Amino acid sequence: MKCKLIASVAMSAMMIGLSASAALAEGQLNIFNWGNYTNPELIKKFEEQFKVKVTLTDYDSNDTALAKVRAGGHGYDIVVPSASFIPIWIGEGLLLETNPGGMENAKNLQDNWKSPEFDPGRKYTAPWQWGTTGVAVNTGAYSGDVNTSAIFMDPPKELEGKVNVVPEMADIMGLAIAYVGGEPCTADKTVLKKVRDALVAAKPKWLSMDYGTTEKLSSGDWVASVNWNGSTFRARLKNDKVVYGYPKEGFPVWADQVVVLKDAKNVDNAKAFQNFIMEPENAALISAFARYANAIKGSAEFMPADMKDAPELNIPAELVSAGYVSKTCSPEATELYTAIWTELTK
Amino acid sequence: MADDVAGKRPFSIKRQPGFGFIAACCFVMLYAPILILVAYSFNAGSSIAIWEGFSWRWYEAAWQNRQVIDASVTSLKIAVSAAAIASCVATMAALATTRTEPYRGMTAIYAAINQPLMVPEIVTAVALLIFFAIIKVNTGYQGLAYLIAAHSAFCIPFAYLPIRARLENMDLSLERAAADLYASPWQAFRYVTLPLMLPGIMAGAMLAFVISLDDVVITEFVKSGGQDTLPTYMLGQLRRIISPEINAISTVLLAISVAVVSVFFVLSRKGGKA
Repeated sequence: MKCKLIASVAMSAMMIGLSASAALAEGQLNIFNWGNYTNPELIKKFEEQFKVKVTLTDYDSNDTALAKVRAGGHGYDIVVPSASFIPIWIGEGLLLETNPGGMENAKNLQDNWKSPEFDPGRKYTAPWQWGTTGVAVNTGAYSGDVNTSAIFMDPPKELEGKVNVVPEMADIMGLAIAYVGGEPCTADKTVLKKVRDALVAAKPKWLSMDYGTTEKLSSGDWVASVNWNGSTFRARLKNDKVVYGYPKEGFPVWADQVVVLKDAKNVDNAKAFQNFIMEPENAALISAFARYANAIKGSAEFMPADMKDAPELNIPAELVSAGYVSKTCSPEATELYTAIWTELTK
Repeated sequence: MADDVAGKRPFSIKRQPGFGFIAACCFVMLYAPILILVAYSFNAGSSIAIWEGFSWRWYEAAWQNRQVIDASVTSLKIAVSAAAIASCVATMAALATTRTEPYRGMTAIYAAINQPLMVPEIVTAVALLIFFAIIKVNTGYQGLAYLIAAHSAFCIPFAYLPIRARLENMDLSLERAAADLYASPWQAFRYVTLPLMLPGIMAGAMLAFVISLDDVVITEFVKSGGQDTLPTYMLGQLRRIISPEINAISTVLLAISVAVVSVFFVLSRKGGKA
């Protein structure tokens, strides 16, 4: 009896699952995106405008998203991988060529995002959000030029022994390679020897290698750190002495991209979504929620007041060219970086 | 002989030097992080490290967050179904491995039932991802049944162990008496064995429920669109800006787990006395 009852409960639970999937047939869009990254207002607006039902599912890393889509049968239409992973997605033939670069709203793309290296001419990708890795400095402790990696690679007198460095290998190696004049993802051993020597020489002048930058910078416990723009932005809202520097020697930029999957069931809706998010007003909604910059001209005027002119979200014109979009480095390069990193952190 | 025992106290780990200190350290290590997590769920500010006063705002925020509610409903649907299926299957398995003459291959069956305890979860997750993907491509069905099936499978040993323990401790003479009094095997099971083993089944079902509710790895790999459970939703949040909302959700989840495990404890203790 007990079992019968339990079995019927289980059956009805499964029926709920079945009926939910039956509703997937028409006017649907299934988005697979990073957690805590999609503005519910944006989804609501899209649902109302296009009369479709959107389901949103979270993933927690580029690798998880890739693994699930590779296996097939996932049921998603849209995924939002990082630019560094886009060559893999394209190379494996997982994406549908929707040509967002030719869509109506492509005219709103900022110039430096019109034809990025990872997707020339934007055959597959529409931009979601981007951010940078740079340095954050408290002007109370140091008032010199902050737009340089020298803040941690060769700290000025005032900051000696006071700099924090976030323990993120890819970011630190990227900044350090650019600082000594190397190419991103280089495997050139003479360049990397310089990088290693510079890092090892700088380390005694650091205070720590730790996360928690937003809290420590806003409380004033740390006066300088390698940091991400979004985190610095939040720290500055609490402590106006914090400034963000874009290293002129070169700094990594990450950028998440909206792509349509080759086996998508709702291609028209997915294409409409790519075009939809390149509308300034909608791009502003994306940024207002996760607090990162987007790549759409004219979106700033629709953003919350504190974001409109935030220096952390708007790269000064003369420093734009110093930024480079992060790539996935070759296994040989990564192996060398790991060796340097191990030596640095031991 | 009595003098002997009184004169030389038997060895007891509790009387070793430093026992109290080490035990206290272990308890602090185990519970301090959880207590801090619970404390910050009541933070009035939006930081998980700087205390700004007491408030319920993060509980309200979580309660009003449609994604949290959806994920909770999904979690409950899966956990209830998986606990029900797993305890039914485990009951049958426990009967088949205790109420028969020992037979060849019984150890192998025992190992097979408990396989989810031994195989690393990530291996099961990847295997299920590939296996279910083939079915999904061929049938087009994307519903919750995959998650329920996967959860039921790994919950079976957790339901099986308490049920089996209960069966092994039960007095066989009652079942024999029933048989002597011309009860059919079904009647003996229905009116004697089942009522007696019920505490074990309930305990098993509750353990399975909690295990299913907590699962991240397998769920993350098996879920289809719109099927985030509470733990996978939380994992997604952690990659971005962490707010005390996560602490609030964790605290609620913790409270549910503690409540269910307490009931499990009471039930299995009652079972032991009967």
